[in-house]
Amino acid sequence: MRIAIDILIGISVFFAFAGVVGMLRMPDSFCRMQSSTNISTLGVLGVIIGGILYAAFFLGDAGMAVKLAGMGLFYIITSPISGHAICKGAYKHGVRPEKEMVCDKYGEDMVEEE
Amino acid sequence: MMTELAFFAICFVVLAFCLLIRLILGPSVADRAVAADSIDILADMALILFALYSGRSVFLDIAFITALLGFIGSTIVARYLEGRL
Amino acid sequence: MKKSSFPAVLSTAILLYLFWLLITGQIVSIFRGDFSVQVLIAGVIVSLLVAVFSARFFIHEKAFYLWNPMRLINLLLYALIIFPIELVKANVDVAIRALKPSLPVNPGIVKVPVDVKSEYAQSMVANSITLTPGTITMDITEEDGQTNYYIHWIDVATQDPKEAGDAIKGTLEKWTRRIWE
Repeated sequence: MRIAIDILIGISVFFAFAGVVGMLRMPDSFCRMQSSTNISTLGVLGVIIGGILYAAFFLGDAGMAVKLAGMGLFYIITSPISGHAICKGAYKHGVRPEKEMVCDKYGEDMVEEE
Repeated sequence: MMTELAFFAICFVVLAFCLLIRLILGPSVADRAVAADSIDILADMALILFALYSGRSVFLDIAFITALLGFIGSTIVARYLEGRL
Repeated sequence: MKKSSFPAVLSTAILLYLFWLLITGQIVSIFRGDFSVQVLIAGVIVSLLVAVFSARFFIHEKAFYLWNPMRLINLLLYALIIFPIELVKANVDVAIRALKPSLPVNPGIVKVPVDVKSEYAQSMVANSITLTPGTITMDITEEDGQTNYYIHWIDVATQDPKEAGDAIKGTLEKWTRRIWE
């Protein structure tokens, strides 16, 4: 059981590391946002599941386990909302990648409407 | 007592400090907002692991409130960028 | 602003009350038998008050639509088995992309048609797409009866709307339609 918890949290650390490296290396703003979703999905879920197992089997504290499950649900519900909001806000604000994107249907349709 | 938990928590804190580079350097406001959001999440993970390590659920409550404030903050920044605030 | 109906207020209040029990730590005490009555009653009052003012932001259509065994089983199956598989696949893909020295990204924004009708289903598909790394929903528009999503995709394989839609949200949309329709 100890080893299972260690493996879960280790997976989480690995994906958080990949997300951080992606955020430092990616060429433009929108790709960096994709990498940050990497942190906020599997980087969170590994810790949450490992923490539930640890709190239930080693600490014997059911309150902590339930609270952790609630936190996981909260993360899963809110992280896409803030990601979508920042992405759309950045596009409307005028952030564009330096290198041309392959295709930009959203920009074309916005020009047509105006 | 599992000392690995403290070790993993230190890993998360180091990753959060690496992300500080993007927060300082980021060319646009959106980059800074995303980096701040991610730092918030990583600090939350460190807090959860420390709460498990010390066995006190006070730190869990602090992590919950930090997550809530981070969500509200990044959403408000996004709304400001969109020009509706 | 629409006026909120009674079932909407009731369902929002139940949700808020569950959150109250979670935050105050009473949800375990109820099973153990040492709960405090004051905290429970205060929770009822506070959650009803908040629900009266905020229900119209949450619930627009049928409030107790999910209260049906078939739909609940489908939702649990989707949330516990189908979606995590997609999530892990996409996560590994983006992590490999970020760690490779050559950095193989090919970003672009594609337009994808979606065939689900109700508001809940649309927001569920959009949130599922955003939650998988590699794709972010940017906007939802509706033109002559056809709903379109604009999706930022980190690796544009095809610009054709139908094929891109299948590649991004094939299974997700099928299961969402099974839940909500």
